[in-house]
Amino acid sequence: MAAETDTRNRNPLVRDDASGTGLVAAGAVGLSALLFVVSLAVLFQAVDLTDAVAGVPVVTLLGGGLVVLGAATVAFGVGSRLGFVETEPQASAGMLAGVVFAATWVVVAGLVASQTLGLGTAGWLVASLAVGGGVFALSVGTREDVGSTVPAGALAAMAGLVFLAGIIGPEWVWDLGFEQKASFTGGFTVPTVTLFCSLVAGWASAKAYGGFGARGRHTGAYTLVYLNAGSIVGVLFLLLAFTVFKGISGLVNGFAVGLGAGPESTIVLLGQSISWEWPFYLPFVMNGVGLTNDFNGVLPAIVGTVWLVVGAVLFAVPLGVGAAVFLTEYAERGRFTQAVEVATNGLWSTPSIVFGLFGFAFLIPRFGNGKSLLSGMLTLGFMLLPLVVITSREAMLSVPDEYRDASAALGVTKWQTIRSVVLPAALPGVVTGIILGVGRIAGETAPILLTMAGGVFVPGSQTPDVIGGFAFTSTPPFVENPVLLDAASALPYQLYALITAGVGASGNVANPDEFKWATALVLLVVVLSFYAIGIAARYYFRRELNQ
Amino acid sequence: MSETTQTPTESQQNTTTTGEPETTAGETEEQVREEWRDYQFAGEAKLSVEDLDVYYGDDHALKGVSMDIPENSVTALIGPSGCGKSTFLRCLNRMNDRVKSARIDGSVELDGEEIYQEGVNLVELRKRVGMVFQSPNPFPKSIAENISYGPRKHGDIETGLLARLLGRSNEDERDELVERCLRDAALWDEVSDRLDDNALGLSGGQQQRLCIARCLSVDPEVILMDEPASALDPIATAKIEDLIDDLSEHYTVVIVTHNMQQAARISDQTAVFLTGGELVEYDDTEKIFEQPESQRVEEYISGKFG
Ligand SMILES: Nc1ncnc2c1ncn2[C@@H]1O[C@H](COP(=O)(O)OP(=O)(O)OP(=O)(O)O)[C@@H](O)[C@H]1O
Ligand SMILES: [Mg+2]
Repeated sequence: MAAETDTRNRNPLVRDDASGTGLVAAGAVGLSALLFVVSLAVLFQAVDLTDAVAGVPVVTLLGGGLVVLGAATVAFGVGSRLGFVETEPQASAGMLAGVVFAATWVVVAGLVASQTLGLGTAGWLVASLAVGGGVFALSVGTREDVGSTVPAGALAAMAGLVFLAGIIGPEWVWDLGFEQKASFTGGFTVPTVTLFCSLVAGWASAKAYGGFGARGRHTGAYTLVYLNAGSIVGVLFLLLAFTVFKGISGLVNGFAVGLGAGPESTIVLLGQSISWEWPFYLPFVMNGVGLTNDFNGVLPAIVGTVWLVVGAVLFAVPLGVGAAVFLTEYAERGRFTQAVEVATNGLWSTPSIVFGLFGFAFLIPRFGNGKSLLSGMLTLGFMLLPLVVITSREAMLSVPDEYRDASAALGVTKWQTIRSVVLPAALPGVVTGIILGVGRIAGETAPILLTMAGGVFVPGSQTPDVIGGFAFTSTPPFVENPVLLDAASALPYQLYALITAGVGASGNVANPDEFKWATALVLLVVVLSFYAIGIAARYYFRRELNQ
Repeated sequence: MSETTQTPTESQQNTTTTGEPETTAGETEEQVREEWRDYQFAGEAKLSVEDLDVYYGDDHALKGVSMDIPENSVTALIGPSGCGKSTFLRCLNRMNDRVKSARIDGSVELDGEEIYQEGVNLVELRKRVGMVFQSPNPFPKSIAENISYGPRKHGDIETGLLARLLGRSNEDERDELVERCLRDAALWDEVSDRLDDNALGLSGGQQQRLCIARCLSVDPEVILMDEPASALDPIATAKIEDLIDDLSEHYTVVIVTHNMQQAARISDQTAVFLTGGELVEYDDTEKIFEQPESQRVEEYISGKFG
């Protein structure tokens, strides 16, 4: 006891981590990470609870794992308290841990009392509060090694026993008795509870592994952060993998490699035509839908999406960056700039369907009264504009004033300074804004629905050829491009149309479901490629700036 | 000229030391005398400042400063931190115009021409009156680009694709300029093999010398330096001091420094500002350091206050 109150008490500088007891704690941390991953897999139905691994159902494995984890955690904590394990615990696990444990146990005790034991309202209230208070006193009032391990370990062990005993199993359903049909199923409850228990016990055993004290708290927090980050990456990966898995077969349908395998492409530039043959054939991205096609694809929608994004960026970026230059470098700070700031922030949060409606009601009547690629580009451009303004402004504001002063002191004019010093320094930030914005607009469906149309199955002849569409005329405005004023399709809309068309509309497509997933995959790839281009651009500009 | 004024000021000093017992108490404000600030020199004034007042909002940072700065010489400005030396310096090329809250009253003439009047071409003014800032501020560009930036923007040097197409590219001239400026700033030997590296990768002292080189690149007439040697080691400082010495043959140098020895070594005349934004004494450097008129200046120089 005296050692605890002595603030000058020093712990050894070097600790021997390879001790047997340390291994127990490390094993517990590993086990909780494993349980965490497995329960995530169950939650996303990558693994089923009734699946058997080495003859044992997954639910039993989870239960057993939790029991072992809980027992190891408690054993380590108690062992440390009794002096079998050398650790450096503080006097208490702390208020935060106490509150979290107490809240958890209040819920557990309440559920057990009301559901299992069938006590009335007063009964379960008293039971849960008593248990919660006890746990709070235990975790706050005892030394850190007991206070942070026993409530966590007991929780995990108890959950494990419940699963092992089959009280909660795959078939288990708890009807909540709401007006709507709502229930907790075993398929949801088991992995969720395991997830939570593995987090709590993993944290506690990581603390134990660190030997409690400041170092233990550090390892505990670290473990939580890593499990968290890992699960986020895992979920993202799962999503991607799911789409790839479902879409890949439709995408590679009819794939062929070899000279002359692919179709011939021609680009007409200023009267010169350049043509080449693709050395491979990937019909899904090289064809439209047609009766004479050997394989069908979504080429028109891909090209439409690309042109849509290019058009929107060409429209929004110069305007947005120009506005940001004016706002940061020229306009006096005051009411006006504040009003513009509020307006741009508001515009960025405006729902896309509202932008779509604007395009439908305002742009379409002005461009020949028909849905057109140009209206789509401008509508998405308007959507992109506020984000470009916001991020460019932010980026320019973060360029240090010293650069501007240095340039001014050399007698360089303001505009030249902006062009040669401020904008290059702000470029990475501007590009980040464009990346984020493009990520949003490239997958946008609602505005396209209202301004560009397209169809469920689009024939290859509707592939927009924007470059080839340019033609010179002898009357003002001397250049015209009918392609821009034609209706066009884009991937998000085509996907939407495919989903809502249902099973009936099959067109000439052999397997509509495969077609749908392949479209989703292509959309994902197109959006991610824009993203990759943006990241590469940002990387390039950053390196220019500080090699 | 300066000899003739020496006698009356000397007698003034006697009255100061004997006639004002409060000053020795240290607490009472010593009155600033007009004569202490009246520095007479032969020849033309390059810069002549009259009754300069600067306010930052309600903060009166410079109070009625008047001083003439002779051509082709080194003028040192010394004084405790926060007394307005940088503020004064920034007034000389109107960099203070860039501070929103600053208000400037008074007159500054460059070669007899008022710079605080309507229609002054700030680009031309700042080309003629260059500045090195208190903290190094190179651009996030390559070392060579930092130097050639000013001349390129002024159209004195043209490089790049368009200039090459038009046959007007003078890259040789640029390379010469870069080398000359870097040599003058005593930086060439350290960076000659990495001119295309980013300037932000240089050490603080190297960055400061790069800023000096950059200032020289537009060939100014007056060079304002705000503690250019504060981040430098003794060797680089000595180089910079030599450079300032050389520069003073053709340029008018105004330098702020906290280093008394440095002021004494390199400057021809010294102006002492004291807390409150007042110019207290301005005279030949020797005079200031050996026989200052003001009690407070003497205390400041001998390290008793400030
Ligand atoms: N941009 C500004 N806005 C408001 N007040 C300022 C500004 N610049 C300087 N001041 C104030 O003016 C006074 C003089 O500052 P100045 O920078 O000229 O001092 P200094 O003599 O250069 O000091 P140092 O030796 O520390 O560099 C200080 O009180 C300072 O707070
Ligand atoms: Mg200063």
